Amino acid sequence: MPIVATEKLCKTYNPDTVPVHALRQVSIAIEPGEFTSIVGPSGSGKTTLLNMIGGLDKPTSGRVLVDNVDLTAMKDSHLIDFRLRNIGFVFQHYNLIPVFTAYENVSFLMLLQKRGRQEMHRRTNELLDAVGLGGRKHARPREMSGGQQQRVAVARALASEPKFILADEPTANLDSDSAMNLLGIMSRMNREKNVTFVFSTHDPRVIKRARRVITLVDGAVDQDQPQN
Amino acid sequence: MKVLLVIAWRNIWRHPSRSGVLLAAVVVGLWAGVIAVGAMNGMTRQRIDYLIESEIAHVQIHNPEFLAEGQPCLFIENHWEITAKLDREARIKSHTMRTIVDGMLRSPIKTSGVRMRGIDIRTETETTTFHENIVAGEYLDSETRNAAIVGQSLARDHNLRIGNRIVLTFEDLNRQLTSASFNIVGLFESASADFDRRNLFLRSDDLNAVLGDRPVYHEIAIMLTDETLASELVADLNRRFGHIQAQSWRQLSPELNVLVEIGDLMLFIVTMIIMLALAFGILNTMLMALFERMREIGMLLSIGMSRKRVFAMILLESLALTVIGAFLGIFLGWGSILHLGKVGINLERFACGIAEIGWDTVIYPFMSPADYASVAALVVLVTLFASTYPACKAIRINPLDAAKDT
Repeated sequence: MPIVATEKLCKTYNPDTVPVHALRQVSIAIEPGEFTSIVGPSGSGKTTLLNMIGGLDKPTSGRVLVDNVDLTAMKDSHLIDFRLRNIGFVFQHYNLIPVFTAYENVSFLMLLQKRGRQEMHRRTNELLDAVGLGGRKHARPREMSGGQQQRVAVARALASEPKFILADEPTANLDSDSAMNLLGIMSRMNREKNVTFVFSTHDPRVIKRARRVITLVDGAVDQDQPQN
Repeated sequence: MKVLLVIAWRNIWRHPSRSGVLLAAVVVGLWAGVIAVGAMNGMTRQRIDYLIESEIAHVQIHNPEFLAEGQPCLFIENHWEITAKLDREARIKSHTMRTIVDGMLRSPIKTSGVRMRGIDIRTETETTTFHENIVAGEYLDSETRNAAIVGQSLARDHNLRIGNRIVLTFEDLNRQLTSASFNIVGLFESASADFDRRNLFLRSDDLNAVLGDRPVYHEIAIMLTDETLASELVADLNRRFGHIQAQSWRQLSPELNVLVEIGDLMLFIVTMIIMLALAFGILNTMLMALFERMREIGMLLSIGMSRKRVFAMILLESLALTVIGAFLGIFLGWGSILHLGKVGINLERFACGIAEIGWDTVIYPFMSPADYASVAALVVLVTLFASTYPACKAIRINPLDAAKDT
């Protein structure tokens, strides 16, 4: 059973004035453990599709099913709680809480989930070690490089043990080395822990690492190919 | 909750200068507010205390018709029954009886209407501080026969001096006009020039000797151990003695009540101005903070922080900042009131006019614990009120803002 499925997803902005069709009849299914890249030129609808899958935006028509739960029928307050328990987010601009240390940023979601103190402590340390930042636990975002901040963001996304992680252009603001390092971590998590990643990107190096590439053109699926 | 408090606390210090300016404004505003309120409290209380202690006392007893009619025959009947009861009352510090007669004062140059107040020197001195108002000559304990003390204003109007003789004409208990001469032994000056012009003081024995064949009293003035017991005692006395009317100082002197109300109104206005300034300060700071953190709040909503928690986070930030400021401001104010309450604020140089109308020029500020509690509660309420708008804006932020470039 797919972990994420979209059924004839459409999104039209300004339907009453100058309609802009951001998504047209997009139907995709993502299985657990996939490492999927959504690619396409600017304005092709990558971010819009990710926002729909993440329950951050509502489609004009069609459905988004996460673990067979219809997000489009959910109330806003339920959606927030659903995101907390099921979906991890990695943003292009890292979006860490600037007043928190790396450790606090990672443990924050577990606090919201009301996990036990010991479990939270153990998992936060494990995740920071896994992204290579075990020695920078007490650094605040402004004291870290972009690559380090994005690695904290990945650890934070993993902290809540989500069903899948959505990453919107995760390497767009990183230099080559940081981008490859981050991709290596994400890829390792996918292989070793079977974490499902869905990310949008322009970056050919990222596309090369993906095991499935969905290409969007003008809001519609143009190609959907597995890669070795 | 703890995590929200941690975020709130750290967010406050994200921009130390901005938070510092608001904090300083809250501290200075409340400190100045507490002193202003304390000074006004002190001024009103001193004025009321003065009038109560020097003349009115806490409670007075009259014949029910005396205050309206003013006739000498409307005296308190069976006054000994009442004084016997008052002597046994634990709530009463002291009491004194007065014989009061309205009449005419005739001097070599003019005639004017006056109220003659016959007092018992010993009990009056125990009950009121009127004797402290003597500015020239002696008090009524002078050995001079038919001694009188008159107000300085009255003396000036009649060109009277100590040692002069005056003739007082009034209706006696048999409703016959009678006259008697009295010798001025002293001059007094009270808080009110008008009171000084219309009143003169005699010994009650001397006045009663002219008034009729037995001593009568028209007023019993009572000082209590605690002012707040006045209403209770008034009710008890009116219930116990049907033929008299006991009244508290608030009933007897509506102008003092007005003074209290004006004082309360001024306090309200000053407090509201401070609170309004505080509200706009909080609103401005929190809106600035919110506009800077749109993406961050969008991110919090995206990753699963509920809108309720975001709302609480914004309220806690405002509260943490203002509660610290309020605590420091009130603490500074408390210290200042404690010091100024002992040494006083001397306004002589700036407000000599108030001395002419009988107000003290040295003010001893005063704040009750209830006043401090009210200010603190008001700060919390105003903060919650002022930060509700930014908090409402925060929860309306679209989580998609987290992904935006700017």
